[in-house]
Amino acid sequence: MDDWKPSPLIKPFGARKKRSWYLTWKYKLTNQRALRRFCQTGAVLFLLVTVIVNIKLILDTRRAISEASEDLEPEQDYDEALGRLEPPRRRGSGPRRVLDVEVYSSRSKVYVAVDGTTVLEDEAQEQGRGIHVIVLNQATGHVMAKRVFDTYSPHEDEAMVLFLNMVAPGRVLICTVKDEGSFHLKDTAKALLRSLGSQAGPALGWRDTWAFVGRKGGPVLGEKHSKSPALSSWGDPVLLKTDVPLSSAEEAECHWADTELNRRRRRFCSKVEGYGSVCSCKDPTPIEFSPDPLPDNKVLNVPVAVIAGNRPNYLYRMLRSLLSAQGVSPQMITVFIDGYYEEPMDVVALFGLRGIQHTPISIKNARVSQHYKASLTATFNLFPEAKFAVVLEEDLDIAVDFFSFLSQSIHLLEEDDSLYCISAWNDQGYEHTAEDPALLYRVETMPGLGWVLRKSLYKEELEPKWPTPEKLWDWDMWMRMPEQRRGRECVIPDVSRSYHFGIVGLNMNGYFHEAYFKKHKFNTVPGVQLRNVDSLKKDAYEVEVHRLLSEAEVLDHSKNPCEDSFLPDTEGHTYVAFIRMEKDDDFTTWTQLAKCLRIWDLDVRGNHRGLWRLFRKKNHFLVVGVPASPYSMKKPPSITPIFLESPPKEEGGPGAAEQT
Amino acid sequence: MSRISKNVILVLLTLTSSAFLLFQLYYYKHYLSAKNGSGLSKSKESRIGFDGTQWRAVKKFIMLTSSQNVPVFLIDPLILELINKNFEQVKNTSHASSTSECKFFCVPRDFTTFALQYQLWKNEEGWFRLAENMGFQCLKVESKDPRLDWIDSLSGTEIPLHYICKLTSHAIHLVVFHERSGNYLWHGHLRLKGHIDRKFVPFRKLQFGRYPGAFDRPELQQITVDGLDVLIPKDPMHFLEEIPHSRFIECRYKEARAFFQHYLDDNTVEAMTFQKRAKELLQLAAKTLKKLGVRFWLSSGTCLGWYRQCSIIPYSKDVDLGIFIQDYKSDIISAFQDAGLPLKHKFGKVEDSLELSFQGKDDVKLDIFFFYEETDHMWNGGTQAKTGKKFKYLFPKFTLCWTEFVDTKFRVPCETIEYIEANYGKTWKIPIKTWDWKRSPPNVSPNGVWPVSEWDEVIQLY
Repeated sequence: MDDWKPSPLIKPFGARKKRSWYLTWKYKLTNQRALRRFCQTGAVLFLLVTVIVNIKLILDTRRAISEASEDLEPEQDYDEALGRLEPPRRRGSGPRRVLDVEVYSSRSKVYVAVDGTTVLEDEAQEQGRGIHVIVLNQATGHVMAKRVFDTYSPHEDEAMVLFLNMVAPGRVLICTVKDEGSFHLKDTAKALLRSLGSQAGPALGWRDTWAFVGRKGGPVLGEKHSKSPALSSWGDPVLLKTDVPLSSAEEAECHWADTELNRRRRRFCSKVEGYGSVCSCKDPTPIEFSPDPLPDNKVLNVPVAVIAGNRPNYLYRMLRSLLSAQGVSPQMITVFIDGYYEEPMDVVALFGLRGIQHTPISIKNARVSQHYKASLTATFNLFPEAKFAVVLEEDLDIAVDFFSFLSQSIHLLEEDDSLYCISAWNDQGYEHTAEDPALLYRVETMPGLGWVLRKSLYKEELEPKWPTPEKLWDWDMWMRMPEQRRGRECVIPDVSRSYHFGIVGLNMNGYFHEAYFKKHKFNTVPGVQLRNVDSLKKDAYEVEVHRLLSEAEVLDHSKNPCEDSFLPDTEGHTYVAFIRMEKDDDFTTWTQLAKCLRIWDLDVRGNHRGLWRLFRKKNHFLVVGVPASPYSMKKPPSITPIFLESPPKEEGGPGAAEQT
Repeated sequence: MSRISKNVILVLLTLTSSAFLLFQLYYYKHYLSAKNGSGLSKSKESRIGFDGTQWRAVKKFIMLTSSQNVPVFLIDPLILELINKNFEQVKNTSHASSTSECKFFCVPRDFTTFALQYQLWKNEEGWFRLAENMGFQCLKVESKDPRLDWIDSLSGTEIPLHYICKLTSHAIHLVVFHERSGNYLWHGHLRLKGHIDRKFVPFRKLQFGRYPGAFDRPELQQITVDGLDVLIPKDPMHFLEEIPHSRFIECRYKEARAFFQHYLDDNTVEAMTFQKRAKELLQLAAKTLKKLGVRFWLSSGTCLGWYRQCSIIPYSKDVDLGIFIQDYKSDIISAFQDAGLPLKHKFGKVEDSLELSFQGKDDVKLDIFFFYEETDHMWNGGTQAKTGKKFKYLFPKFTLCWTEFVDTKFRVPCETIEYIEANYGKTWKIPIKTWDWKRSPPNVSPNGVWPVSEWDEVIQLY
């Protein structure tokens, strides 16, 4: 290196003192042309590589960012889902995006056909009266909801208003009247029909026929109406044929962020209608609730079986409340649907739960009973480690502390053989007769409506002799029979942890529900600490009852027990009354007393060895049947037990209650 | 002049760009490792084999599952065996320390197999999406739930059986275990449906999924191998031993339902009582033999009941089990006695025609037949107590499979139909209530008479 002399060519740079060895070497090479070329090409290549690495880095970083921001894939999945919801037979294969809709309205028959496929047909006698409403997806023509509102009867128009308001704008609405649809069609409903653009709807008269097709919030696509000429006759049948232009899929959908939950929501909302804000574009109601976990949850691994039929709106309401309850574990929930109904399955899928459909066996009550059996068996098969199962029905609201209540009490089922079940429902727990959410009772009757079943009881006793399909028995009546119950009792809360909102079930009618279920008390306080749970065990409970009876003040038996003044206007006292009860099954006086207390009187519920416990005017009120009850000895000798005679009118015997 | 500056500029550019490049490489590495979680120590590059696609796939998979709290455990037979052999060493190696060589996850293979208990999997769908976003190509095999099979009217959501997730050339096979009645875990058959790409992975090489399988529920432990934290069965040896004999066959529920449609179920109290007692006896016998570690299977009438009607034949009088004579242990008798089942009679001897009978509670008898293996067949013996006559029952050779019966895991001959036809003939489907064990079976043949001198030993009645 010493003999190196800078070439004259690069003299100006020779002034630089600091020169790396490398540079020096490189300059030396510049003398050789080939090498210089080589270096130049090398440098250019090097530059190119740098550029490529740069680009790759940018691309990678980009991808990573898009991954990180959880927004998973683009819409394609959803488009596929939509593709599956083929509209009923699209005519031709051309790009024509129009549906042929036919709507028929008459006295005894209605039908709706979309592109030649009948989507509604009702010519059954004595049912289906009123306004039939069908909602179509405006992009696919898929039927999203089918309802009938018997607007001849009161309050049905309110339900219709509620429903129509929930339908998303842009959907295709089809209405048709069967028989009579105007008698109880009130102004609000008529105003709503007017706002939909209907001419005849708001003016619908007695026994008119009417067919309507329109877009919610958009133009009317067709309407026909025929006035009834006289009170005793019907309007002429009308047949409305109209074309409904389909809109593009994007228009029909909301632009929710693309998350797992919204994917479920989108699938649901493109299929069904009538679930209100869950499908609202702007501010959809959540479908995941993540309630607080329960500390030391003893029922975290207890499977929950939800027994359902085809009442998807009920199921929706029920699952919402269930999934909002503290301590719920969604993967333990299985919904058993009695029949191959799609919509309940859609509801189950919306909440990401497990759903199982059950082919109907037998009829009426026996069908329900067989469905129960299959569901319970399947539950214990699916969760072979479980010692218990929670059994719920689709028409229940679940209290926020439902699982907390069970977690605190479930050990009783393990430790006390004399228990049959734990139930969340108090048959006698009405607004005016229940008070203390921390209090539990033992009762000889099985209330059902949200209860815990012990696996050993089911597997060893109930399952082998469960009523066969040809016996048209109610499963719950059967379970209450002495052969099954064998003297065992259920633990119930004073204030129910479930609320029975069902109206249109197999076993229920509207009046019945109004009278016996509507005023039931339902706990809304979270995290209630149950009091003295171990005193519910067999022997401890007797001690507890004796203590209660000893400190109870005996009421004035000369007063009429049906009068409000029978109980003094105090608070926090314990009172006892003695009624006549000759034998263990003599409930004459009790039934009359229950009637005037306005509590469950259709059969005997809530008794424990001839003792009933409830609240009146915030006082604990005990009723003892004398002399059948072993607690009769607490009766002061001076007291004559109250006797109330049953009215002479013949009544349905006990047991007929739920079949009404 | 211009040439010089051109050169100089070139050189300068090269220098800056190389500086940039270095910086970028550094940054890129940093970024990658940040994406892959922080577990990666910097010394990684100096280790051997840790950059293989295999190790990286496993690492990514483990990261994915642990970030989602999915408790997968390693069941890969090859790796478990390696771990089992080097167990002490593996145990002593704590986190991140001296492992300088990738020993376990870098043996070149197409798969690594993991398993998961399904009920512990909280967010399957989310996991699946995340896996795909991380670059895994996943294949999911589903089927209907066999636990609902016997109730023919139920149809539910399908359950996942297998996931195969491929990252470049290495695939992770995730076997989904489901809990079954009888406290065991079950995995399904990997059946390729029509639309599945048969070349996705070399399916034939998979170690699980050729048949459904049944396993004891393993306890798990956490270990660190090759710098990765994995769960493995606490007793890897036991698990490895289970694998070759894990094949599971489902009861033929459909045929059983057809059978009951034809012959109707006996719902009398006596029938149900017998079935209940026989079930309890079977469960007790299973528990006792399992404790001893003796392999056994459902034989004769009990096997027929399982195969034909998925239940205990109500008019049979006893419960029958088979045991290979090489599995015989002398403490069988005392173990049953301790379990409350006294010996009723003992026929034959270990070398020939051994048969044990135990008295269960409530008059139900437990018969255990010992099977002897010849080159082309198996046989078990019978002895008539009064006359000392010997009988031989021949069976074609068979292997053992698991099944579920009366809420318990039992073994049965895998070649069940051959076994049953040997014992009951082609007409086994028709219920017969009178059965003479000396004459009725088509596979019975006389086998001489015990010499009177041996009677004391070979005919013991209690």
